Order: sequence, then C-alpha cells, then structure tokens
Amino acid sequence: MYRTLLLTWRYMTFHKIKTAILVTCITLTVYLPVAVHLLVDDFQVQLMTRAETTPLVIGAKGSRFDLVLQSLYFDAQPPESIKMNEVSKIRNSGFALPIPLHVRFRARGFPVVGTTLEYFDFRNLQVGQGRPLAILGDCILGADVAQKLGIGPGDYLMSDPENVFDIGGNYPLKMCVTGVLARSHSADDYAVFVDIKTAWIIEGIGHGHQNLTDSTDESVVLKRSDDQVVANAALPQYTEITKDNLASFHFHAEPDDLPITAVIAVPHDEKSGVLLEGRYDTDKANAQLLRPVKVVEEMMGMVFKVKRIFDANVVLVAVSTALFMVLVILLSLRLRRREAVTMFHLGCSRMTIFRLQAAELIIVLLVSCMLAGLSALATLYYAPYFVRGLLS
Amino acid sequence: MRKQRLTIVAAVLLGCVLWLSCGKQEKSQPDSQASDEGKKTVYVVNYPLQYFAERIGGDEVAVHFPAPSDEDPAFWMPAPETIAQYQEADLVLLNGATYAKWTEKVSLTESRIVNTSAAFSDRYLQIAKAVTHSHGPGGEHSHAGTDFNTWLDPQLAILQAQTVKDALVDLLPEHEALFNTNMTQLEIDLLALDSAFQALVTGREETPLVASHPVYGYFAHKYGLNLQARLWEPEKMPSDEEWQDFDHSIEHHPAKWMIWEGTPDSAIAVKLKEHGLDGVVFLPCGNIPEEGDYIQVMQQNVGRLKPAFE
Repeated sequence: MYRTLLLTWRYMTFHKIKTAILVTCITLTVYLPVAVHLLVDDFQVQLMTRAETTPLVIGAKGSRFDLVLQSLYFDAQPPESIKMNEVSKIRNSGFALPIPLHVRFRARGFPVVGTTLEYFDFRNLQVGQGRPLAILGDCILGADVAQKLGIGPGDYLMSDPENVFDIGGNYPLKMCVTGVLARSHSADDYAVFVDIKTAWIIEGIGHGHQNLTDSTDESVVLKRSDDQVVANAALPQYTEITKDNLASFHFHAEPDDLPITAVIAVPHDEKSGVLLEGRYDTDKANAQLLRPVKVVEEMMGMVFKVKRIFDANVVLVAVSTALFMVLVILLSLRLRRREAVTMFHLGCSRMTIFRLQAAELIIVLLVSCMLAGLSALATLYYAPYFVRGLLS
Repeated sequence: MRKQRLTIVAAVLLGCVLWLSCGKQEKSQPDSQASDEGKKTVYVVNYPLQYFAERIGGDEVAVHFPAPSDEDPAFWMPAPETIAQYQEADLVLLNGATYAKWTEKVSLTESRIVNTSAAFSDRYLQIAKAVTHSHGPGGEHSHAGTDFNTWLDPQLAILQAQTVKDALVDLLPEHEALFNTNMTQLEIDLLALDSAFQALVTGREETPLVASHPVYGYFAHKYGLNLQARLWEPEKMPSDEEWQDFDHSIEHHPAKWMIWEGTPDSAIAVKLKEHGLDGVVFLPCGNIPEEGDYIQVMQQNVGRLKPAFE
C-alpha cells in the first residue's frame, strides 16, 4: 500500500501542472456552491435580524426597498424627505415611540446618521470609549469607522461637501468626536452618529453667525431697520460649533417642518402597531409605513430566485467538470499506456496498475475536498464581515 | 530630616485637597442622592417647575434642578456632565416658551421631555425691541422674542402644574391618587395667590409702572397692568443716555414706582428717587430663592407691591 501511494505521489509531483489543474477544477466546483450558500445564508440572517429588530419604518412614498435599506443600513439612495411633524404625530398617537433618522450626508465616506438618543437605547448601543452626544456638533463613531479612520474621542471629523462643484452649497461642519461605540457587528459599526439637530446644521437649515444687531461691520449688512437686520451673502457662518459660538446657532424653520429621511416606530404593543399601520394605510397619508421584515422577505425572495439560477449553473459546471475529469483520466491512461506495459513487463500485476491509477484519482479528490472545506471554513468566518461590508 | 520631609509632603497633599475643594463648583441644591435611591428622577429647568414637581410628586420622586444659584437658569449652559444627568433622568420638565435655550442645543432623550407650557403655546407673549445685554456668569443674551416667564401668571402656573402632574402620573401611575391630591392642594395655593394679586390691582390697573427688566409680561398681561419695561440691572448704574431716555419715557408714562428683580444698588435707588420714582422688588423666582419657597416668595411679592398700588 505504501509503495503504491509513494509511486502515485511521485507521479503526481512529477506532473505538477496536470495535478494542479485537476485539483483546482474540483476544488472550485465543490467550493463555489458551498460559498454562495453560506454567503446567501449570512446575508439573509443579517438582513432578517436587523429587520426583525426594527418593527416599523415610516418614510416618503416611493421605493420600499430604498427606504428600508436606507433606514436599516444607511446605504441606499436617500429617499425623499418627510417632515418632523410625522414624529410628533406618532408620539401624540400614543401608539409607538418614534425615532427620527436623517441620513443624507457622509463624513469621509461614512454615512452621517442624525437621530435622537432613543436610537442608542433601541439598538442597545453602548459607548465604548469617551462619552455620549451632549451638544450640537458632537459626533460618535461606529467601531469600524474609528478603526478605519484611526480617530477617537477628542479628534475632529469634517462632513463631506454634498457636491464639490457647488461652491454655493452647504459648508462642511467640523464635528467633535466625543465617543466611539462598542462593536455591535451591525451597520451601526460603519456609521457616524450625530444629534438630529447637528444633521440639520450640516444641511444648512441651522447655522451660527455673528450677532448682526451688534455688528459694526456694515459690509455684511444689506438692510438695517429698527426691528430687522438683513445680512448679505458675505456674512461668514461658523463651520465649527464651539462653546463660544454655540449660543448663536439657530434654525430657520419651524421644528415640525424640519426634514428627516425616515422614522423608526417602536409600537408599545402589537395592537398599537396595527392601529398605527391603519393610519398610514390610506391614500390621504403623506408617508408610507413599512414592516421591514416583509420588505426584506420580499427582497430575499428575489435573491433566492437568482440563487436558483446560480445553483442550476453550478450543476452544469459540475457536470462539465466531471466530464473534463473523465477526459483527462482517459487521455492520461492513453498517454501512460507504454508506462503501464513497461510496468507489466517488470512484473506488476494488472491490479497493481489499477491501484496506482485509482490512488491518483482518490488523492486528487481528497486534496480538492480538503481545500474546498478549508475555503468554506474561511468563508464562514469572514462572511459576516463581507456581507456587512456589502450592506454598509 | 525624615520627619521634615513627611511634614512637607503632608502639607502639599493638604494644599491639593483644599485647592480641589475650593475649585469652581456649581452651587446647586444640596446633594440628596442617598435618600433618592430607587426613586424616579425628575430634572427641571427652573425653580417654579422644581417646586411644582416636589409639591405634586412628594416623596415618590427625586426632583433635581442643578443650575447654580448665582446664574439665571434661562441663560445658563450646563456642563457636559450635567447634560449627562439630564439625559439619564426619567423625566425632564421644560418650561417651554423658549425658556432655557440650552435645551435646543444639546442632546436629550426626546421621549422623556415634557414641555409644561405647550398646552397654552397660543398664549405666549412676545417681547419686542429688546437689545442684547449681559449680567451674571451666563454672559451676553437678549430677551427679544417669546416671553418665557409664564409662571408669573398664576393661572398659567396652574396649567403648567397640571402638565407636571400628568407627566408624573404617566411615570408612576400607581401614585395617581396621591398626585391628584397634591395637585389640588397646589392649585388652591396658586388660586389664593391669584386672588391676592387680583385684589391688589383691581381698580388700579391704570397706575403707570416701570419694570427694570422685561420679565413681568405675563404678570402685567394677566392683571391688565400699565407696565413699561426697561433693561436695567440692579447692580449696574444705567448710563446717562439711558437716564435721558428714561426721563423722556416717563414724561408720557408718569410712573411713581419701578419694579426690580433684585434690590437695586443704593446709588441707583437714590438717583431713581431724584427722578421721582421709588423701587419695589418683585422676585420672579426663576431660581431657588434664598429664603422660603415659591408660594411664600410670591406672597412676599404681593406684600411688597402694595405701596405701588396705594
């Protein structure tokens, strides 16, 4: 047995390229469907876990998928804005706890999520380093944002300009990093959190500037009367919120008219959830209410349709690989006919020659399966990170 | 030698301890955390709300008002540590009407905030033409915009107390009966105060009066007073220009009394007397009074105002 294996091994190492091609083909044929299955499974688990822990999402009428993905993962195209009065309406209804979300801007590529403190309790997010949000201009980083940018409490982070070619656009805001969230293995690890009022300042709805009533610089004043001072565009606005200029920050809109991208509603009980759903289930409603679980299930249905096509493709690939292997083995046998005759003349039995050929095939299959198994294990380990990266 | 060294080290340590203990501290109400353990915490933004919450909540809640006693709570800006205390509170009572603007510039847990004047937001008064000024550690500020001293109208104070009671019932429904009883008692006291103010001014509403600060809007509006407000501080002598402007205004508004938030400096009082006016102190009670409680201070205000209406 040992001699058979030794001879086979010598043969395989002598024909390295042929052996490598065979091993690669079989490894990929086994690994690919397994990897896809693992990734899709993880994708489904992550989507469903986040969706299951987010009871209701309310946002502008339009794409359901964009609204849910943006509210859960902060990554889809921002939906149309709705007004803050949706939050007041939900709160006043007494059916649910409303958590507003404003996800329209980014900071060094990461989404800036404007929300209220309820969000952190709702997602059970803990501040790992530093302190929670306290004043306007503060921001808290998700664990991966802090790691990738290499910044932490006490550092500063600029919001990205909405459009680099729009020189009249919003000023980027220099935000003070007050804390870093403990890793939650969710989309929250890839986000920058600010108070919703800070998000409105980034959007330009709120701003701070020098007191025009006391200003002696007439170059920034367009019109002055007893009870009104109108500034021109030369009036510089603060791009950083400090202790000294905090008091000058104000909003040019009624609180109920301020924009948000979505509201997460956490019903007090199942009945309240259904009653709230009923309020939005009319043509007169300005917004749509979605159950993320249903939307994600619908989305997963599409993913599974694609997966079925992929699975069929994999079967075809497996068949062609098997045929390819048969061809390689037959050709190999033909090429090795003289070698077999020589071995026969040297005294090898036909059985020994058969064992040599079979051992080669078994070793190739075993090595391929082992490599495919190891790759699958690695995929299993890295799938959550990979999928989270895709979703964020 | 060794003894000497030990003495020096001990002296340095003692010095450090003394220095730390003498450092800037927010002079607020005494720490009662030990007795508050296990109770729901209520944080408020001014003294009237603290008084209402304590009267209604009794021993069932721990009410905290951390603003320093030497600052105007309306313009105070709490430190991040104090903001964290507000964030962790079970209930945060706001006065509303733009009082304590700092609440708009910090992150608080929205679902635990109750605006006690929201029920009568359509009755907010506006202060016109107020300029920026400065007094106390709070720095520069302006009284322009919405008048926020709502509690100076006892009827509005009752509405605010009612909202406080409702919020406490939501927080501790098992104590609803107690809160209702306490609210009834508080309402009786506030109605008595209203009657006292009403009796004081009835028939003398047209008496011209001047207020040193535009903080008595709701009081004047409630009782139909003929009151004009300046922007003077009790401890800061008005400029010659301000005195000239004052003289000009009292030609058309012949007031004999000026209502002050605090006792004016003697020099100001003398000069005011030279202009034919006496001063009377009406404490708005936005912060914790040095003596007595909200009702007692308001009753003292009634007593002090009497000469102005005689």
